[in-house]
Amino acid sequence: MTDDVSDGLTARQEVVLTTWPAAHQPAPAARTLFDVVASTVGLATQAAVTIAVVVEHSVSRAVATPVNAALDRMVPVIAAAVVERIDLTDLVIRQVDLGAVVTRALDDLDLTSIVIDRVDIDAVVAKADMEAIIDRVPVIDLANYVVDEIDLPQIIRDSTSGIAGDVMNGTRRQALGADRIVSGLADRIVFRRRGRKLDAPGEPQSLGGRFREDLGGDPYDGGPDDDAGAGDVRVGEATEPVP
Amino acid sequence: MTTFREYRSRIAAGSEPVHDQPALPSYAVPIQGERAGFVTRASAAIIDVVLVFLVVLGTVVAVWMLSFIVQPATSQADAFAGDRVPRVGALIAYGYVLNVVYWTVGWATGGRTVGNLILGVRVVNFRGERVRWAGAFVRALFCTLFVPGLLWVIVSGTNRSVQDVVLRTSVIHDWVVGVPGLTRKEHP
Repeated sequence: MTDDVSDGLTARQEVVLTTWPAAHQPAPAARTLFDVVASTVGLATQAAVTIAVVVEHSVSRAVATPVNAALDRMVPVIAAAVVERIDLTDLVIRQVDLGAVVTRALDDLDLTSIVIDRVDIDAVVAKADMEAIIDRVPVIDLANYVVDEIDLPQIIRDSTSGIAGDVMNGTRRQALGADRIVSGLADRIVFRRRGRKLDAPGEPQSLGGRFREDLGGDPYDGGPDDDAGAGDVRVGEATEPVP
Repeated sequence: MTTFREYRSRIAAGSEPVHDQPALPSYAVPIQGERAGFVTRASAAIIDVVLVFLVVLGTVVAVWMLSFIVQPATSQADAFAGDRVPRVGALIAYGYVLNVVYWTVGWATGGRTVGNLILGVRVVNFRGERVRWAGAFVRALFCTLFVPGLLWVIVSGTNRSVQDVVLRTSVIHDWVVGVPGLTRKEHP
């Protein structure tokens, strides 16, 4: 690119168009003949196309009905014959990737909403064999679980403490308070400063959560132990266990 | 909160369901298994003695009513004659015997009499087990005949009565909620 061009002034060129009326000249005879021939050919072509269209319509109308009727009869027969000769299932299994098809279909479908919208779940449940289901449910385990979770001992305590339990616990509590007052006074009188040693052997049933006879033997024990007179309380025998 | 799935897996793993909450008022939990004091034990004994007294009274009434079958009353004064009921000495002896039997049965079967149950105490032997029949009988006899032995609880450093010291028993706090059941163990 030169500096002249980049200047932008010397590169600009102007084109001026001027018109003036042409002089009328009579058409030559050859020209006229050509126009006539061309028009005739165009008309003929147009006519031929129109005729062709009309003929096609007529023919197709006339032929379509019997042909369709024939096809209607023949195609099913042929198709049946074809299908009969082909093991379609085997063909599909061999040729189609069924997993991909199903996966694709499932990807495209919102199965949950389809089931919710279109399935009468109540009817399905009504038809279900509930007994068989319940037979398979671990009902006893479930019941134990519920009992454990709701803390039944607490509920029992709440319900019994309403009437007799409240009175009983109140009495026990008052007696306990009086015990402490009495023992405190006595301890002060005898100058016992270390307090009392109240630990006793044995496990309280009250802390076991249930009433177990796990502290002794059988409460109705009529066994050889009792017959031999070997009671647990032995007067003057053995010394106090040293703590 | 344990889910049912967790619960089942725990049970399947062999662990026992645990009831952490004992059915007890919270203030009573720490004293369970401790030796009970004088007031508690005296109250329990008084309740028992009152019950025995009521039974003796009931027996007197029953004997009095039955006496009319043997010897119908001839007059108003005859109906209330002294010879229709046992003498006081006999009644006292009867009461003592009843008391011994009652305490023996109570302590040997569940470690409790009605008074013990109400006050939430239980009698155990030196091993912490329920006293047996012989021991219960000796203790009942001792307690009935030597009531002042209970006073030793006041001065004892271990809340023991004279009977407890001699027979090496203990009366412990054991606040059961209801009447404890006497369940029979399965014998093999």
